[in-house]
Amino acid sequence: MDESLLIKRVRDQDQKALYLLYDKYSAALFGVILRICRNRSMAEDILQETFVKIWKNISSYDSSKGRFYTWAYRIAKNTSLNALRKNDILIQTDDLSVYKNTGSDESQPNYAQLNGALKKLEPHHQKAISLVYFRGYTHQEAHEEMGVPLGTFKSYIRQALQSLRKSYGQEFILTVLIIEWISNG
Amino acid sequence: MDRKKILEEGFLEKYLLDELTDSERNTIESALQEDIELKKQFDLLEADFEHMAFENALEPHVRVKESLQRRLENKKVRRLHNIPFYAAASFALLFLLTSFFLYTKWQNAQRDLNSIQIETTVLKERLNVFEEKTEVANTKLNTINGPNIIPFVLTGNEKLPNSRAVAYINHAEKRVVVNSAGLPQLPKDQTYQMWSDVNGAMIDMGLLSPSEELVTLKYIDKAESLNITIEPAGGSEHPTVEKLISYVTL
Repeated sequence: MDESLLIKRVRDQDQKALYLLYDKYSAALFGVILRICRNRSMAEDILQETFVKIWKNISSYDSSKGRFYTWAYRIAKNTSLNALRKNDILIQTDDLSVYKNTGSDESQPNYAQLNGALKKLEPHHQKAISLVYFRGYTHQEAHEEMGVPLGTFKSYIRQALQSLRKSYGQEFILTVLIIEWISNG
Repeated sequence: MDRKKILEEGFLEKYLLDELTDSERNTIESALQEDIELKKQFDLLEADFEHMAFENALEPHVRVKESLQRRLENKKVRRLHNIPFYAAASFALLFLLTSFFLYTKWQNAQRDLNSIQIETTVLKERLNVFEEKTEVANTKLNTINGPNIIPFVLTGNEKLPNSRAVAYINHAEKRVVVNSAGLPQLPKDQTYQMWSDVNGAMIDMGLLSPSEELVTLKYIDKAESLNITIEPAGGSEHPTVEKLISYVTL
C-alpha cells in the first residue's frame, strides 16, 4: 500500500494502518533503539513507546520536510536517550550482568555489530557513522568519543556517507540491470 | 547560509539527526525549500540513511506488537468506558440540577404551607370568635324570642316622649330581659331604674343603661306593671315618682 495513504489512515485513527507501519519499520527502528540502550527488554518497551508516540503525534508529521522513517527515527532516538537518562547510566544486559554505559563499550555482541554496506567502510568511518546514527551521539559527543577534532570527525562522516552513496548507487544500478535483464528475458 | 556551508558543516546530517537548534532548523528548512539541489542532496541522504537502517534492522519479538495492540485497543476500550463515565457525569449533573430544582420547589411549598397554616390559624380564631358571637346572638335571640316570651313596649310619657324600651317577660322561666337602647342618654350623675308594682308597692328590678341592648333584670312575681324612673347614679331604694318616664301594665 502507498505509504502516504497509510499515514493518512493513521491520522484518521486507523490502528490497522499503524500496525502496517509497525510491520514495515519496527525492525529498522529496533536496530537503532537496541544499539542505543543495549538492553533488550528496555529496547522493547522503548519501541512500543515510540509507536504510541507515532500514533499520538502523527498529525505533526509533515511529509514535505522528510521521510516518515526519518521522523520516526528521531522519536525513537529521543525516547531511547530519555529512557537512558531516567535509568541513569546503569544498564542491565540480557545476561543480567550490569555494566556502566560509557558509550565506548563496543564489545557487546550482536547489538554493536553493523551489517550491509557499513561493514565495508574503513573502521574509523564505520565507527563515526555508528556513533551518530546508531548510538544516539551528537557530533560534538562523537568527536570527543573518537578523540579527533570536530572538523576531522565531520570529514569522516562526509567520506563515510560518500562511500555508502557509491555502494547503494551501485546496488541500485545492479538492481535496475537485473530488472531490465529479467524483463527482456 | 549558503549551500556550500550547509554541506561542509554537516548541517544536513545534523538536521536529519535532530541535532540543530530551533533557529538552525528553520534556516535549513528554508534552504531546503528554496534550493532544489540541496533538497536532492538531503533526499539522497535520507534514502541512504533509511537503507542503512534497514540493513541493520533487528527483528523485535512479536510480544512488542501484541503489547502495542493491547495498549492501543485498551485505550479504545477505555474510551468506550468513557462513554458511561460521561453518561454518569451527565446523570449526576442532571440529578444535581433536579435536586436543586426540587429543593427550591420544596422550600417554596414549605413557605406556602407555613403561610397556609398561619392563615388557617387566623381563620380558626375568627371562626371561634364568630361562633362565640353567634352563640351570644342565639342566646340573646332566645331571651327575646320564644313561645313563652311576652314583649311589652314602654314608650316615654310627656317627660321623655321619644324614649322607648322593650321588656321581654318569660313567666315560665321567671326571667325579664329589657332592651333599653331606645332610651335617651342621661347626665353621668343619673340613671334609669325599673320597678315592679305589686299590690301598690314598687319593688326594684335593677338599673337600665341606654348603651346596652339587652339587660337582664330581676323577675318579680305577681307584678302588675313595669315602671321606669330617672334616679341618681347608682339607683335608689324607692322610686322618685316625679321622675317616672314610662310604664306598662302587665
